Amino acid sequence: MGDETCSQSAKSDQNGKSWLAIILVGLIDIVLLYGITLMYAQGEIAFALLTLFLMACGSWVFISQRGYCYRYVFPGLLGVFTFIVFPLLYTINIAFTNYGSNNLLSLERVREIHLAKTYSSGDGSWGFRLYQEGGGYHLVLEDNDGNQFETLSFGELFEPVSIQAAPLKPDSAGTTGTPLSMREIIKQRSSLKQLTIIMPDGTGLVLAGLRKFGPLSKIYEAQTDNPLILTDTRTGETLYPDMNSGFYTDGTNEVGPGFSVYTGWKNFNEIFSNPGIQGPFFKIFVWTVIFSALSVVFTLIIGLLLACLIQWEPLKGNGLYRMLLILPYAVPAFISILIFRGLFNQNFGEINMLLELLFGIAPEWFSDETLAKSMVLIVNTWLGYPYMMILAIGLLKAIPDDLYEASAIDGATPWQNLTRITIPLIIKPLTPLLIASFAFNFNNLVLIALLTGGGPDLLGATTPAGATDLLVSYTFRIAFESYGQDYGLASAIATLIFLIVGLIAWLNMRVTRRMQEG
Amino acid sequence: MAEVKLNGISKSYDQGKTWIIKDVNLEIHNGEFVAFIGPSGCGKSTLLRMICGLEDITTGEMHIDGELINDHPPHERQVGMVFQSYALYPHMTVAENMAFGLKLARADKSIIKQRVDEAARMLQLEPLLERKPKAMSGGQRQRVAIGRSIVQEPRVFLFDEPLSNLDVALRVQMRQELSQLHRRLKTTSIYVTHDQVEAMTLANRIVVLSPLQPGAKTNLEQVGGPLELYHHPANLFVAGFIGSPKMNFLNAELQQPGEEWSTIKLTSGETLKVAANTSSSACGSQVIIGIRPEHVLLLPDKKQDQTEKDNTVIATVSTLERLGSESFIYLDHDSVREYLIVRVTGSGLQNENDKLGIHLPPKQCHLFSAEGLAFSRTHKPELNTCQS
Amino acid sequence: MAMVQPRNLKYRVWYARIALWLFLALILFPFLMIISVSFRSGNFATGSLIPENPSLEHWYLAFGIPWENPDGSVTEPFFPVLLWLWNSIKVAFFSSILVLMLSTTGAYAFARLRFKFREHMLTAMMILQMFPAVLALVAIYTLFDKIGDYIPWLGINSLGSVTIAYIGGIALHIWLIKGYFETIDNSLEEAAAIDGATPWQAFRYVLLPLSVPILAVVFILAFIASIGEYPVASILLHSMDKLTLAVGSQQYLNPQNYLWGDFAAAAILSGLPITIIFLACQRWIVGGLTSGGVKG
Ligand SMILES: Nc1ncnc2c1ncn2[C@@H]1O[C@H](COP(=O)(O)OP(=O)(O)OP(=O)(O)O)[C@@H](O)[C@H]1O
Ligand SMILES: [Mg+2]
Repeated sequence: MGDETCSQSAKSDQNGKSWLAIILVGLIDIVLLYGITLMYAQGEIAFALLTLFLMACGSWVFISQRGYCYRYVFPGLLGVFTFIVFPLLYTINIAFTNYGSNNLLSLERVREIHLAKTYSSGDGSWGFRLYQEGGGYHLVLEDNDGNQFETLSFGELFEPVSIQAAPLKPDSAGTTGTPLSMREIIKQRSSLKQLTIIMPDGTGLVLAGLRKFGPLSKIYEAQTDNPLILTDTRTGETLYPDMNSGFYTDGTNEVGPGFSVYTGWKNFNEIFSNPGIQGPFFKIFVWTVIFSALSVVFTLIIGLLLACLIQWEPLKGNGLYRMLLILPYAVPAFISILIFRGLFNQNFGEINMLLELLFGIAPEWFSDETLAKSMVLIVNTWLGYPYMMILAIGLLKAIPDDLYEASAIDGATPWQNLTRITIPLIIKPLTPLLIASFAFNFNNLVLIALLTGGGPDLLGATTPAGATDLLVSYTFRIAFESYGQDYGLASAIATLIFLIVGLIAWLNMRVTRRMQEG
Repeated sequence: MAEVKLNGISKSYDQGKTWIIKDVNLEIHNGEFVAFIGPSGCGKSTLLRMICGLEDITTGEMHIDGELINDHPPHERQVGMVFQSYALYPHMTVAENMAFGLKLARADKSIIKQRVDEAARMLQLEPLLERKPKAMSGGQRQRVAIGRSIVQEPRVFLFDEPLSNLDVALRVQMRQELSQLHRRLKTTSIYVTHDQVEAMTLANRIVVLSPLQPGAKTNLEQVGGPLELYHHPANLFVAGFIGSPKMNFLNAELQQPGEEWSTIKLTSGETLKVAANTSSSACGSQVIIGIRPEHVLLLPDKKQDQTEKDNTVIATVSTLERLGSESFIYLDHDSVREYLIVRVTGSGLQNENDKLGIHLPPKQCHLFSAEGLAFSRTHKPELNTCQS
Repeated sequence: MAMVQPRNLKYRVWYARIALWLFLALILFPFLMIISVSFRSGNFATGSLIPENPSLEHWYLAFGIPWENPDGSVTEPFFPVLLWLWNSIKVAFFSSILVLMLSTTGAYAFARLRFKFREHMLTAMMILQMFPAVLALVAIYTLFDKIGDYIPWLGINSLGSVTIAYIGGIALHIWLIKGYFETIDNSLEEAAAIDGATPWQAFRYVLLPLSVPILAVVFILAFIASIGEYPVASILLHSMDKLTLAVGSQQYLNPQNYLWGDFAAAAILSGLPITIIFLACQRWIVGGLTSGGVKG
């Protein structure tokens, strides 16, 4: 069948609106094309291609009859593609670069920055007088030949500013306002340092001492035969881009800022060989697996027991119990986690207060490794058991009552009921859900970020790494915590996690399929 | 009111790898009531859905009133369809259900009201107009579904097993109502069913479809009036499909072909005479004799000399089904694959394992070639004669 | 579960009840505690579980009203909680609407239309769903940084960016709605087609009105999910007035500026409405979770 049905449906949905659609799509395309050109001009090839690709798909889908069926899925797929697939691919791409706060820009941008660097060269100098006029200031400059220039007015300055200067008319003498004394000029020095004065002939002047302004010169100029290599106009030394480190270098020293370059498998090698990363990485990996597995086991046991219990009719008031038991799931997780963070607080927390009162102990929940880990597990079990309970209730309802009646006739105990009937019957449909739950906990960033922030810190790590960190929160910290954000390394770890998650997803699909068949 | 013409219609769901329907040629006349009948899965619904445009036509041409409609979307074909599940819109009242199509077509409010009221009156739905489908019985829903197509004034009515969800009593009543409705409106109707009684009682003509056999040219088996199918089935499939219980088939070989009378010899040895024209076949070719259970005659008693009588065979009683007013006797006989069934009026007084002599009247027998095609019958079938 | 156990049933019931109550006490302890803390004056534990001299200090601050201390000094609210709540609600509302629209149309196509790559798209979506956005945060940050160059209200530090970033998570919802659509008799739309409806009209006038229950479930699920979303919001939003509740709340427990009491009141104030919505819709959410879960 395929396309046939699709264009068939399309036929009945065309009543003269098609022209309108084409015009609309055309307009959107024009806007997008303009944007794409801009992106291309700025060197954002990846984004230009992405937009172009999506635009082409969109236009085809909404204009062609054969694209009719895809009109319904296109917007959704667009969202999935833009916010899941593209970031995924982009992340994998970054994993092979040294992208990070030290190497943020492209090579061209860094070259431009170097080429724009200036110094005051000192040949020729302009004496100056500073005038105050109301809240503003202006300068009068005088060169060696006695020509005078007056600048526009400026206030107090905190960032670089360039202002124009014009020849001073001999009669006006530039004397509106009062000239300031040397002491006051020193006070204004920080403002004056920010100034670049553009003379009528185009040269820029900067402060070159307490009493004079001097002309600016470019520090570097590009070599003609290889425009990427820069020559220092002062010393004649050359600066060339090091494509391995992502910095311009003169052979010994690196000159910032860095640019991002492809570094191949370096980030991955780093993970597996650099002891400052490898050690924490494996520790964190092991903990992540233990954490996810234990979370699943604990929540499953508690959830299953509770489900059995509140399904038990003689108990009475089951509805109320159920609601109270679901409460941890109903409260937004970020609030509950923060509540626990407060309750477990070493000094001010209510839990330690109680323990102190009852047993006279005050465990260091956040600085002791084992305690921190147990706390994370306790909180996660608290958060997660209602979900398991809900699932278990749903599955238990599907078990026919007569099985239990039959087993009662055989004289089975409740425990035997559970192990011989209940668990074997629900384990099949439950397995894919348990795998999904494992995957969820594997990536449970919110819990760690809000509860411990990863701490207590691991010793001997060159990157921020903590005892309770999961792989995701470790990645998150490498990428976004203030010191030395290393996007490349973070993306490399993320790529490894993609592989693990992909494996889990594949496993889940297989298990689900097997469950459906058998 | 319209004529529907199917010209070499075929359907495949997988680009021609397997065919569901193959080469169906059919002409349905103005005002006719045609029933499609066939075993489950033979493609009746599929054929009907191709007529109304819910399925693509893989090959062939479909005309309504001379207009080629292969590529028309459903609503442009101006047909009305009643689904097996009724397919009433659950969130609309009866009136809204009936008016939906007219509203989509932006018909005048007054016209909508007038047509809905008229249909409601015709179908005795007036008191129910404001109800939702959920609050109605099966028969009422059925009427609403019919009403919904009536208000559109379609050229052709299509019914897909409309009565199969009703209980027996209601089915009989609705059958009569449908029949009356057709007599009143005289709209061309096509009716899919697997119930022979419905087809025989409602239809002017019946189209018998069979599941497509590998290698077969078509799965349209026969088209004809109800009695024509009963008395002159064109092939083994139709002969076996029409009539209940099934026609008995006895394996035989042609001993003496003839234009009016043919003599055949059963595989178990008896010779029989049959009123069928077999002049085109060679002596000794394999044939199959068919006779309906209601046409087989029981001989008064199991006297040995009756074996000598013409067209008589002896068989052993295997089981008896006694229904009171009539009984079915299941007999074992070597030339029959399963049982030879005989219908007798009254409560059959025979016992199991009795040996019975049965008479197969020559003029009531059908004769089929080994390929399953019927030899034409040479005598008007006699009136059904039953005995106790 | 019908356990046929006539003997000593009574004792068993009581054992079960007591166990359940103890467990409930443990589970509800944090909630009771946080209520108590919110009425305690000051931000540091005072040594008793039930506040001795209750004060509304934290509640005033949570509502954004300055609080006058007994000594005459005035405490200004530290954080704009209500604004954060409002931001969260705005983001959640609009992203849920978007998610609902996209997943409904998508689910319709997947449930009813036949087209190439249909199965592949479905499988791909289900697999992609497993990859958390957390891992691609650098890319997402860069993406919105770039988008912001052209469309400022979708750039970094805008609520718009967070709203549309949540569109990525529609696969599960598509799956849920698709399952529901498949329970609706296909012949309804066929009847509509014969009545002259275009596919769009059949979708709009027949299928949609019949699917209101599942659409409500999906809306609520999406709403709750985006209210609680932390990672993406935390990197996209910076300035105090743009934060959502999930990102803002943690600032209360900053070790340098520990506002335990204020947090308690703010948490109750903002968590309560969401909890109530959840409990009120519990039945549907649970149904959605189990069916979606068991199928997907
Ligand atoms: N969408 C489809 N894709 C593939 N095969 C189909 C499809 N719809 C129907 N079929 C096949 O086409 C054949 C005919 O189906 P159809 O529904 O027409 O049978 P039917 O004669 O109406 O049977 P019934 O009396 O049970 O309703 C069946 O074998 C069925 O499996
Ligand atoms: Mg059918």
